[in-house]
Amino acid sequence: MRVMLADDSVLLREGLARMLVESGFEVLAQVGDADALLAAMDADPPDVCIVDIRMPPTNTTEGLQAALHLRVHHPKVAVLVLSQYVETRYAMELLAQGADGVGYLLKDRVGDVSELLAALRSVVAGRSVIDPTVVSRLVGRRRQADPVETLTPREREVLQQMAEGRSNRAIGERLFLSPKTVEAHVSSIFSKLGIEDTTDDNRRVLSVLTWLRGDSAETQP
Amino acid sequence: MVEAASLPHARPGGRRPAVLPLAASVVGIVVALLALMADLHHPGGESAATIALHVAGGLTYVLVGGAAWWRRPHNRTGALMLAVGLTWFVQDLTHVTAALPFALGDFFFVAYFGFLGHLVVAFPSGRLEGRVDRVVVTAGYLWALGGNLFTHVLFAPAGSAELFVLHRDATQYMIADGIQQGLDATLCVTLVGVVALHYFRGTPPARRAIGPALWASGPMLLAAILLSLPAVIGLAPGLEKAVPVFTPIALASLPIAFVFGLLRSRLAVASAGHLVVELGSSPPPERIRDALAETLHDPSLALAYQVPGRDGWVDSEGRPLELPDQRSSRSFTILERGGVAVAALIHDRSLENDPGLVAVVAGAAALAIENERLQADVRARLAEVVESRARLVTVADQERRRLERDLHDGAQQRLVALALTLSRAGERVDARPGETRELLADGERQLRKALEELRGLAAGIRPAILSDAGLGAALESLAENAPVAVTLRATVDSRLPDQVEAAAYFAVCELLTNAAKHARATSVSVTAHIEDGRLQVEVGDDGVGGAHFDGGSGLNGLVDRITALDGHLTLKSPEGGGTHVEFELPCG
Repeated sequence: MRVMLADDSVLLREGLARMLVESGFEVLAQVGDADALLAAMDADPPDVCIVDIRMPPTNTTEGLQAALHLRVHHPKVAVLVLSQYVETRYAMELLAQGADGVGYLLKDRVGDVSELLAALRSVVAGRSVIDPTVVSRLVGRRRQADPVETLTPREREVLQQMAEGRSNRAIGERLFLSPKTVEAHVSSIFSKLGIEDTTDDNRRVLSVLTWLRGDSAETQP
Repeated sequence: MVEAASLPHARPGGRRPAVLPLAASVVGIVVALLALMADLHHPGGESAATIALHVAGGLTYVLVGGAAWWRRPHNRTGALMLAVGLTWFVQDLTHVTAALPFALGDFFFVAYFGFLGHLVVAFPSGRLEGRVDRVVVTAGYLWALGGNLFTHVLFAPAGSAELFVLHRDATQYMIADGIQQGLDATLCVTLVGVVALHYFRGTPPARRAIGPALWASGPMLLAAILLSLPAVIGLAPGLEKAVPVFTPIALASLPIAFVFGLLRSRLAVASAGHLVVELGSSPPPERIRDALAETLHDPSLALAYQVPGRDGWVDSEGRPLELPDQRSSRSFTILERGGVAVAALIHDRSLENDPGLVAVVAGAAALAIENERLQADVRARLAEVVESRARLVTVADQERRRLERDLHDGAQQRLVALALTLSRAGERVDARPGETRELLADGERQLRKALEELRGLAAGIRPAILSDAGLGAALESLAENAPVAVTLRATVDSRLPDQVEAAAYFAVCELLTNAAKHARATSVSVTAHIEDGRLQVEVGDDGVGGAHFDGGSGLNGLVDRITALDGHLTLKSPEGGGTHVEFELPCG
């Protein structure tokens, strides 16, 4: 699998590259800002890009902009965006450009090698990966007359997994449930929350997250 | 220019109704001429000089009264004076030979005395203050109208109106007349006493105003004693001859004094012109007050200002100030600019009698007063700034301490533990690989914890999303993580100055924390939008209410942060009625 790294912290970049090479990945390029990333992309597109959200020159959301750019101009390349802080808003922006092959993770996850590799494989396979922090924050937030309260504990776990981007099969594996049982939970969740059911896993992530963001998010981005 | 206008209780505005004073004056002049003719044709009458004095005395009242009434239609003094002048000539009816006019002239000979008493007691405001005044004036009216009627009908003297005589007895009449004159004198003394009381109780400006009435009532007193002496004691009948000469002169002294008072007021108005020159454009604050006090002859005069962003009044140092109420001996005149009250002169109530003077004087000092008002505004703000700066410094200091403690107790300790764990792992790496793996896993957990804490701390200092995506996005994130259900309506799309975004963000943050912690609210609504270049934010909860600025809820610090950016915050938090906070910040 061919990977490209964009992060202005050389220390982290080198560490990540070494770990990826050791795990059998091919690291095509390591760059320190968005412009260099886009240039390297045009020269030789990889299977997946790992992009830090905060990069020079303004150190705000250059990585996110670059990722959005890649979604449009290189739709075949998967993108995994890393961030020191996770914000639902950024996750939604990424997903809005098409949920297939994008990931949004807290930078700390880099420390857990197996977790990171699993996420990389997921996005390359065309799935979406959303950091559990974002999801649990959304699931756990307080609402008035909260329908989430009507879910069983098991249904909540399934909801969390679904929102993180897992397919029914992956959810079953994680929670040690049969595919049939997962399916039953999913349709129960959808009817309790009043979300329209969809078979497309990636569209499902978006609609679940949108629902969870709910009534507070009347802000225009 | 500052326009001067007094409050309704000081003087109602409006145009002067000139017709009534003019008509009454004309009537008065005609009556005076008729009286003159009657006096001149009266057989065995007074000398021409005495007649002239008599008519001139009454005419002075008519003319001065008419003029005063026209100039100050809302002050009763002019009308009263005119009434004295008119009724003065009632006595001349006794010089007409027909029976009915003679009887009327005889019965109401001293009718003028009622109006005169009213005039001196109410001088110069035209108002009666207090019960004593009213009783004395009413007694004066009753006596002036009823006294002669009573004695002359019951105990008709020789040569009196035959038309109404009930009973005639020269001796009884002598006694009745003596009693009446004694009462006349008593009433005169009482009236003068009341005026004197007003004078000695009055403030310096009030004394200046009452002065003419006092020194006019002095001769009146003398006249009354002269009138009654011959009758009571039966002495020196020659003195009686002096009465017709002396009375009109004593009488005329009041209107003359009044005219003098008016002239003095005109002089004061004229000297107001000097104020402009004297004060220039930026005199020291005390100089304005002193100059105004001097011109208006009111040493207790004070100035009050209205400054933007503050209800109520402040003095020249910016300290809050109350205007005197209607029961106070002090009054005030509001100075307006473009229909808005900007300053007030607090002065003695007696200056209400001359609102024109206050207005002209205040107008002359307008520029200096306006300048002073702006300075008062600056001083008021400065006082606030000094206080809030001290609080901000304290808060910043506390924040630094808290950060230091959190770093020390949290991440730092975890990193020390991690170093320890790693060194233990290092020692065991060859001998006991199993233990090493466990220690490394431990170390990783400690490291994750430390990272989490650092992230939390950094977000508390300034959340990244605020810098990266602006206030709207940051409020959204705040709402998501809030310990209460938050309904957010934010339409802040554009980026605002850094400090405005931070102040608004931390204010909402603080208010959400308060809603959950102190108000025990279950839901909060937050709205934010830009209007006329100002950020407007409202935060309302359904909690227990009763929040106030000194409640340790951090609201004070919040106000400081908002006002430091020239913003404004209002708090409504009735007990049991939820807390509603609105604040606005200028966006550059």
